[in-house]
Amino acid sequence: MLSKPDKPDGTRERKYVLTRRLDRLFLELHRVFAFNIRFFKELVVPPFEFKEFIKQCFEAGVKSLPLISLTGFIIGIVFTNQSRPSLAEFGATSWLPALISIAIVRALAPLVTALIAAGRVGSSIGAELGSMRVTEQIDAMEVSATNPFNFLVVTRVLATTLMIPTLAMYTTLIALLGGYVNVSQMEQTSFATYFSQVFGAITFLDVFSAIIKSFVFGFTIGMVGCYKGYHSSKGTEGVGKAANSSVVTAMFLIFIEELIALQIINAIRAT
Amino acid sequence: MSAAENKRSVIVGIFVLLGLVIFVVGVFTLASHQKRLMQSIQLRAVFDDVAGMRKGNNVWFSGVKIGNVKEIRFYGDSQVEVIMDIQADVQQFIREDAKARISSESLIGNKIIEIFGGSAQASPVEDGDLLTAVNPMNTDDMMATLQENNKNLVTITNNFKKLSTNLVQGEGTAGALLTDSTLANNFRNIVASLQQTSANTVQASRALNRFTSRLNNSDGLVHQMLTDTAVFNRLQASVNQLQNATTAATAITDNLQQASQKLNNSSNAVGVLLNDQEFANNLRNTMQNLETSTQKFDENMEALQNNILFRGYFRRQEKDQQKVQETNAGAADSVNVIP
Repeated sequence: MLSKPDKPDGTRERKYVLTRRLDRLFLELHRVFAFNIRFFKELVVPPFEFKEFIKQCFEAGVKSLPLISLTGFIIGIVFTNQSRPSLAEFGATSWLPALISIAIVRALAPLVTALIAAGRVGSSIGAELGSMRVTEQIDAMEVSATNPFNFLVVTRVLATTLMIPTLAMYTTLIALLGGYVNVSQMEQTSFATYFSQVFGAITFLDVFSAIIKSFVFGFTIGMVGCYKGYHSSKGTEGVGKAANSSVVTAMFLIFIEELIALQIINAIRAT
Repeated sequence: MSAAENKRSVIVGIFVLLGLVIFVVGVFTLASHQKRLMQSIQLRAVFDDVAGMRKGNNVWFSGVKIGNVKEIRFYGDSQVEVIMDIQADVQQFIREDAKARISSESLIGNKIIEIFGGSAQASPVEDGDLLTAVNPMNTDDMMATLQENNKNLVTITNNFKKLSTNLVQGEGTAGALLTDSTLANNFRNIVASLQQTSANTVQASRALNRFTSRLNNSDGLVHQMLTDTAVFNRLQASVNQLQNATTAATAITDNLQQASQKLNNSSNAVGVLLNDQEFANNLRNTMQNLETSTQKFDENMEALQNNILFRGYFRRQEKDQQKVQETNAGAADSVNVIP
């Protein structure tokens, strides 16, 4: 596409602006940017596919709940158990609830929820949309005057954007309960004391930053899955590739976002 | 909308609602824990150094969390003004002369502001009041003190090292005690003697105990002396009499002394008898003369008994004497015959 015909003087036009890889990278970035812009455009343009949105919420949120609950509970127990020896060296095992609270609310719950959702929901979206692309169902929808972007992408991205924070709430509660089970067994701490220390250690900034991060993670998972699926090619091989790259890219972006969010939150906390 | 879609919508609704409930309950619990929903007043304190205090740190009064730090800002040249949000319901307990100091929740815990003191005579604080700040000890000061302690510890350790070396090498009394076997034996003997002494002391103590028991016996003299006033009075009278007797004895002694002085003096008859050598010689001659005279008188009397004129008289006396002896012998025989 970048290659141009030979000039009249016989010299060849440059095939790539920079290099082949860099040109592809910037083209990809452009397409991602355009995809995002289109999402926000389609979001405010009716009709809104409510049934599909509910369906996607059910798929992304409700069906992920058992897996994420179990994971959260195990993380609460494991993190508590692993943290105990370090605190015990200082004779500070009474600080376990505070440590668990800070770790789970600030980082673990949003991050673990997002990573699990990226694996389960992101791959599902990528594979579903990829197979629809490969089997030309998306083209068929366009022909039948149905806006495939609105139906497929907006509903899914919106569903993941709303469901991941909700799942993060559940994960937080369940992981804290997992931590309580362990602390209660080992330190005989009462329920009231445990949750008093839990809430004593966190601030509103921690809670709201975790919620906002979860929204961003959810948006990222939905958007990456939809993008990879929507732009998949090369037949059935492309479906698997779309599913796989959805998970890998989403997870990578989640970690990058976590890092950026951490810097921003620390800057806010310092003021 | 089909039944399946309805069911799905309801489930999603419940799912989202429960998530929201968790969020809302969490936020309200956090708010109540941080006293965000309660009425509050603001108090201020100006510190030289806030030692890393941060916005949101807790404020304690008598060990109870009553608020948190709302704002920290510079004040004057280099001081720091800390504005605290305090629960309105504890306002009545904090007095105007209360003080604020920066403390720590625990050894490695968060910084807190601790409000303390305040007299009952002072009125309660008002919104915006400035509390007197007690500046915390700087970490550097603490480290300097610790450094001083470390130096002292090193000196003590060195001294102890020297001491232990001397002990091991047997230098000094204590070292010799530990290493010299003779000294050890002596010490052992001393200990044995001490044991014996202590055993004796125990026995003495028992004896003393028995003695004091006897003293405490109501029949004893000492007990009566200590307790019975009549005995004491009698004893006092006896002592008075003894004192009088002593006075008399002293007078007698004086008299005897005077008498003995007179005996040594030749101005009286006894003194002459005892002291005058010439008188003694005269007396001795007199006695010799008297003895000679007595012998001659005895010879004269014998000559007189043999004289014819007085012989009859002496024979009658002999006969009377024989009669008396016979009479006495007869009386003695009659007494022996009677059973």
